[in-house]
Amino acid sequence: MTEHERLGPPPVEPLSDVAWSRVERGLWSRLDAAPTVLMQRPRRWRWIRITAPALAAAAAAAVLTVGLRGGAPGGEAAPTRVVSGAAPTSVTVGDVHVTLDANTAVVMDPAASALLERGGAWFAVAPRGKRPPFVVAAGDLVVRVIGTRFRVARSGEEAAVEVDHGLVEVQFRDAKTRVGTGQRWTSRRPTEVTPPRVAEAVPAAPDAAPEPEIVIEPAPLPAAPPSVSPPAPAAPTPPVPPEPRLPADRKPAPKVDRDEAAFHRLEALERRAPATAIDGYLELSRRSSRWAEPALYAAARLAADREQPRARTLLEIYLQRFPSGANADDAHKLLGHLQGAY
Amino acid sequence: MRIAPAVVRDHDRDLAHRAASGDRGAQRELFLAQRAAVHHALYRILGGNRDLEDLLQDAFFEIFRALPSFRGDSTLSRWCQTIATRVAYLAISRRRPQPVDLALVEEIVPDDADTRRQVMMREAARRLYAALERIEAKQRVAFALAVIDGRSLAEVAELTESTVIAVKTRVWRARKDLMKRAAKDDVLSAYLAELGGGS
Repeated sequence: MTEHERLGPPPVEPLSDVAWSRVERGLWSRLDAAPTVLMQRPRRWRWIRITAPALAAAAAAAVLTVGLRGGAPGGEAAPTRVVSGAAPTSVTVGDVHVTLDANTAVVMDPAASALLERGGAWFAVAPRGKRPPFVVAAGDLVVRVIGTRFRVARSGEEAAVEVDHGLVEVQFRDAKTRVGTGQRWTSRRPTEVTPPRVAEAVPAAPDAAPEPEIVIEPAPLPAAPPSVSPPAPAAPTPPVPPEPRLPADRKPAPKVDRDEAAFHRLEALERRAPATAIDGYLELSRRSSRWAEPALYAAARLAADREQPRARTLLEIYLQRFPSGANADDAHKLLGHLQGAY
Repeated sequence: MRIAPAVVRDHDRDLAHRAASGDRGAQRELFLAQRAAVHHALYRILGGNRDLEDLLQDAFFEIFRALPSFRGDSTLSRWCQTIATRVAYLAISRRRPQPVDLALVEEIVPDDADTRRQVMMREAARRLYAALERIEAKQRVAFALAVIDGRSLAEVAELTESTVIAVKTRVWRARKDLMKRAAKDDVLSAYLAELGGGS
């Protein structure tokens, strides 16, 4: 290519009919899974303001908004799209707690459904009682659940489901399968249900987007409670605050100090306004400081005190995020107590 | 903003209304009618069909979500392309630069002039999009639509929900950045000059 000929703009190569069929099928599947999304009030996009930091802030704001809404189970909130960035994140919508992997997008309809657009997420669903099953859709996959904790992951058209405890019904295209505690299912072998392995990658579809590899990592299971000890105490112990760290070369970041102060303010607020304290603890737990751990446990404990169904979910999330946390033993006991109560 | 003829506006509005109300037949009609335009916009910005299936799904999903807001000020086609542009922008602003191995394609110089031209064009386009991977997302979108796709600045401004001045600035900055990157690449440099991106 030594001398330049006039080449013109590169041609737009058409997409194959097979690819268009896949696009169309996936689209209808998504629309069917989120019918209420279609008619929601239009949003005005602000192109100019969409920058990378703004995106991150928007995602955080969405997470925060959804999380705060979670404090009012049964509240009528519009479907909300939650997107995680480079780090995993957790949200609570109604009494469903979702832990998103990095680079995951989920549309949450507080009524009874979630649409996994990409990536993977753990869903912890409180017992539904007489309410309709909670439904998670991911492409051609539909998972119906009564009350359990399970994970759904997708990469292109491939999908996988893993159940921590409980029972879900997996519908993939026309086939239905039940997946129970400790079992996993993958769209590569839709008729088989196998026990989980420690880690397995879902390979990306050929020519798939360079999405992060989805690795199925079962959440750390709670240690078996001592067989001789009674269930959790009626009044769980208060959270153990983090131990003070050794003096570092530089002063601790002001944010950490603020988090500590916030934690103590929330402690003082527990008796007067427990609902506000729970919301505050949850907000604190979403941050990355060392106060996130006791805050999450405090929220779970307070929710348990108030006999809120989300207490179990919060404890499960706590044990998943902080399996060796300072309050892990208490969380195990309290969770065992609550599981016995349901 | 180009105003659509009344008959087109009425047809578009009617189709959008029926599709927004959940009429699957209307949704399919809209999908089939707009898929080429949406694909074209995405392809131009992304530079190939790789990863495009998911983005097409995302784009149409967003289109259907936003249908209740369609007022018919512009054609449905233009409106869909605006959403597709937004989806493409979000996709490239989220992801890391894609590694492009320029050594993968051998230097093929066929005898046939037409084939040789096609091979050269593919190679030049590949280098161009490899360079575009490294520049800021808004600049890339503006450059792809204005320079590679040959759209007017006003049209690009409409598609990117921006102003003509902003688009002009982005194209200028993209061009400057690309020329710097093409300093040691004769193929890219010549291609940029031909497309009007290197002057």
